[in-house]
Parts: sequence; structure tokens; C-alpha cells
Amino acid sequence: MNAFVQPGFWIFVLLMAGIYCIFALGLQVQYGLGGILNFGHVAMMALSSYTMAILVITYNWNLYLACFAGVVMAGLGGAFLGLTTLRLRGDYFSIVSIAFSEIVRYIIHNSDHLTGGAQGSLNIPSTRGFASYTDQFNKVLINIQGKIKPIFGSFASRDMALLLIVWLSAIILLICMSFIQRTSWARVLRATREDDDVPASLGKNVFLFRLSAVILGSVVGGIAGIYWALEFSILDPADFQTIVTFFAWMVIILGGATRVKGVPLGALFFGFLYAGTRFFQFPPFTWFDSVQRAYLRIMIIGFVLIFLMLKRPQGIFGKRAEMVLE
Amino acid sequence: MAEFVQLLFNGLVTGSILAMAAVGVSLVYGVLRLVNFAAGDFMTLGAFIAVFLSISKGLPLIFSVIVAILGICLLGLALDWLLWKRLRENKAGTLALFLVATGVALILRQSILMIFSSGSRKFAINETATFGFLGAQIATSQLIVLLLATSAIITLGLFMAKSTIGKDMRAFSDNASLAAVSGINVNKVVRYVWIINGILSALAGIFQGMVQGRFDSTMGWTLLLPIFAAVVLGTIGDAYGALLGGMTLGLVMEMSTWHIFFGGIPSSYKPVVAFATLGIVLLVKPEGLLGVKARSI
Repeated sequence: MNAFVQPGFWIFVLLMAGIYCIFALGLQVQYGLGGILNFGHVAMMALSSYTMAILVITYNWNLYLACFAGVVMAGLGGAFLGLTTLRLRGDYFSIVSIAFSEIVRYIIHNSDHLTGGAQGSLNIPSTRGFASYTDQFNKVLINIQGKIKPIFGSFASRDMALLLIVWLSAIILLICMSFIQRTSWARVLRATREDDDVPASLGKNVFLFRLSAVILGSVVGGIAGIYWALEFSILDPADFQTIVTFFAWMVIILGGATRVKGVPLGALFFGFLYAGTRFFQFPPFTWFDSVQRAYLRIMIIGFVLIFLMLKRPQGIFGKRAEMVLE
Repeated sequence: MAEFVQLLFNGLVTGSILAMAAVGVSLVYGVLRLVNFAAGDFMTLGAFIAVFLSISKGLPLIFSVIVAILGICLLGLALDWLLWKRLRENKAGTLALFLVATGVALILRQSILMIFSSGSRKFAINETATFGFLGAQIATSQLIVLLLATSAIITLGLFMAKSTIGKDMRAFSDNASLAAVSGINVNKVVRYVWIINGILSALAGIFQGMVQGRFDSTMGWTLLLPIFAAVVLGTIGDAYGALLGGMTLGLVMEMSTWHIFFGGIPSSYKPVVAFATLGIVLLVKPEGLLGVKARSI
């Protein structure tokens, strides 16, 4: 029950919700506009965070340059995924995109000399003798902590400082995405969602529009990966399992699939749902021991996903009319 | 030569198990338009039920296997009644089907962990017993699995080709509305699909468990990607294509570790090899091995 009343825990939950919000925004661009069902989105997070960590640890790059390179890498990953598979039919693309993310994870898991392999980023070869990529960033966070101390008092922790940065980025990205929704690019993409032939007959290259949507979404997903890496200070290939992509899908569905503004609401809802299930300290949950309750948490995510799809496919905040067009 | 025979044999075993599971996934997709993400967990559950009954409860292996098959068939039918039927009636889109299937997969995997705990399991067979064949050491358990899987595949092939319900299923995969108009009983076809899928996935899971020696709750999920690769390789929805795709990928995955290919690709990269193969085939022939190019109007 202790963690339940600790503000530090809830700051962490909000912070994770912010990272999921950014991560899901990347998917939202692809699905909400282009109707692209990408199930390999977590690969972009893995690509950006690992690229950043390797560049900082092994090659002593400046952190910000490395972050930028990481995000570019995620974009390149999206380009590779799109170029090779986007010409396939919808179901094929979804299956192959899952495979893409799993292959990225397999390669990270098995390339000991580059990524540290199964032991995670602590094992990335370093010239300085210790594998940490957050030193430079921690100074910034400590600086921010000092600045917000008068406002937040004892809550001005490392997580709180990062929380502000993450949600600020999330809001900026949200505004950008809402702006993009009104461009002609987005209108063409929305047309491709319903039908390929009409936009094609108007001289639009449907493939290029879809590809650019996948790349844009991947870049946004890559930004989430950077924040993920900065929050945990250590990376593990097991962090980037396919289930993370489904968490993002859940955020989108909760927020109402076709609405950008729903994403932060969905992310908050998901964050509290996922964290809140830790506190089921009453029957029938007390019948299970703590290990079993950990299994139960994932099961609850599964049940919510199924229930939503059966009863409210448009999400909690979504409009039904926008969904049934399919 | 010995290495070649060994790998060829391993490839045939892996291929036949992949093929069985892939046919199940492909049939479900062909008739229900459902990409069954829970297929891997169906396999795991089948293997766990069989190992639980035969090891923990001391029941005969054959009996345990039959109960496991029945269990997975019932699970498929129950899920159809609970979920897929409703989603069909709601005319749910691809996304809804995908997400519900994932939800089912998550719940199944966590239930396996919860009921049977997280330790690894093993069938009461001696997988180290081998015999020499053309210089290679072949495990007896592998040979038995290969023979059983092959006979299951041949039986299935005959069933699909000759029986009325098999023909109905293929008609349904080809063109659902045409099949329904010509008087095929939709509900009957759907029921049979789940029963065949249950038999195939339970058997594939049990066979994989036997060949692997020790297995845990992630066994099916690890296999799911090669299975999907096999399904897509052989043209999604085509049962014979899935057979071909499964056998091809099984052979390619095992053969890739042969030392003449860049000194042998590490075996942990087998799933990557499976998808690289799929990628190459799809680049040349985007409709899959047995697919017919869709004619655009």
C-alpha cells in the first residue's frame, strides 16, 4: 500500500504516460491518417535508444548529437520497413512489421560486441571503462531540479524534471500533429485510407504518401525511445518486446483511434490503468501471490483490450462515425 | 556429408512442425479473415496440458495427448462463440480483430504461467537416444515426431482434397460470399476450422516440446514468427501454400547453420533467416509462392 501514497510513484506514472503519449503519437500518424496497421512500432524505440547509447558510450559522441542520430536512425528504420513491405497488402504489412521489430530485438540481443547483448547497455564496449550515457543529461536535470525547487518543493526529483521535459515535448508534438492534420498531405493520406484508386487517378503517388507517413511516425516513435533511454539510464533488449507496441495501440484506441487530441488522454488512462493494477490489494486479487499478480496485470490489459474492441471500438473518447467507415 | 544429412533431417522435423501450425493459422485466416496471434499460445497450452497429465498426473501419454487436442479444439470453439462470432456480426475491422487476438494471446500466456507456474517442462522421453544414419546422429524422438507429423500432414491433405467439408473450406477461402450463396453452411465450416486448428496446433505444440526437450511458456510465441512467415510465404489463406511454406522455411532455417554458408549462421538467428527468406520471396513474388497475381481493373 506504501507506494500508493508516495507522490514519487505517481510522478513516475505520469512520466511514463508522457513517453507512451509520444510513442503512440507516432502510431497515430500512421493509423489515424493513412490507415496503416503497424505492429512493429517498438523497433523504432529500440533503434533510436540503442543508437544513441552506442554513440555516446563507445564513440564518445556529444549526447545531443547522439540523440539526433538516434532519431534519424529510427526514421531510417521506418524507411527500410516501408520500402520493403509497404507495397504488400494490409494484413501482410502488419505481420511483416511485427517480424521487423522482433528481428531488430533479436539482433540487439545477439550482437554482444555492439549492443551489449542480453546484458543490456551496461555491457556496451566503452573506452572510459563504464557504460553510462546519461552523465551529460543528468547535469541538465539537476539544473532543472534546482530551478523548479521553489515551485514543487520536495517533489522536485529527477523524474519530475524529466516529466516536465517529456510532457512539454509531447505538447509540442501534439500541436505539430494537429497542424499536420490540416495540410493537403494529410488529406491525400486520408483518401488513401479509404481507397487507393481515387488518389492515384488524381496523380498522387499513394506509395510515397504512405512511406512518408511511416517515416514520420517512426521519427516520433524514435523520440519516445530517447526519453525512455534517458529515464531508465540503462537499456535491455527485453524492454522492446512486441507487447510495448500493443500498449501504444491501446493508448490510441482508448483515446479514440482517429483523434490526435485523444492520444494524451489515452496515455494517461493507460498509465493509471497499468500502474493502478499494482494496488489490487483486496479480494479476489489477494488470493494470488505477488508473482501471480504480476501475470494478472498483463491479463487485465488483455481483457480491457478485448472488452473495448467488443463494446466500444471507437474508444472512450472517440466518435463511432469515424470508425465504421471501414 | 554427415553434417548435411543431419541438417537436412533437422530441417524436415522443424519444417513439418512449422507446416502443421502454419496450416492451422492459414485455415483460420482463409475462412475467418482472422490473423490468429494466439496460435503460438494454443501450441504452448496443448503441450502444457499433455505434459501436465502425463508427468504430474501419471496418465498414459496417448491419453494425455488426446485430452490436450480436445482441450485446444474446445478452446477454439469457445473463443469463437465468445468473441469472433460477435466481431463478425459487428463487422469489425482488421484492427479490432488484431487487437482482440493479441488480447487473447496475452491472457492465454499469462494463464499458462499462472496455472502451471513459470518453470520449464519436459516429456518423459529420452531425446538423447540416437542412431547412426549416413554418418549423422539422428535422435529417435525426432524420427518418431517426423513420421507422426508427416502422417498428420498427409491425412490433412487428403481430408482437404477429398472430403466435402474440406472442399467447402477451400471454397470459402477462395471467395466467401460466393461460397455462402451456393449454400455452404457457414457455421459448420467455421466449427470445422477451429477443430482442425485445435488438432494441428495441439499436436504441433506437443511435437515441438518433444523435439526441444525442455520447453517453457514462451515456446509458442518464439515459433509464432516463423509460422507467420510460413503462412505469408505460401500465400496467406492457402492451406497447401502454408504446408509448402512451412517445409521450405524449416529446411532453410536449419540449413543456414551449415558451415559452408559464411561459416554457418549462428542458430540464434534462425527466425531472422526465416524472415529474410520471406522478404526475398515477397520482393520477387509479392503474392506468395502459390499466389495468383491479383488482376486490377
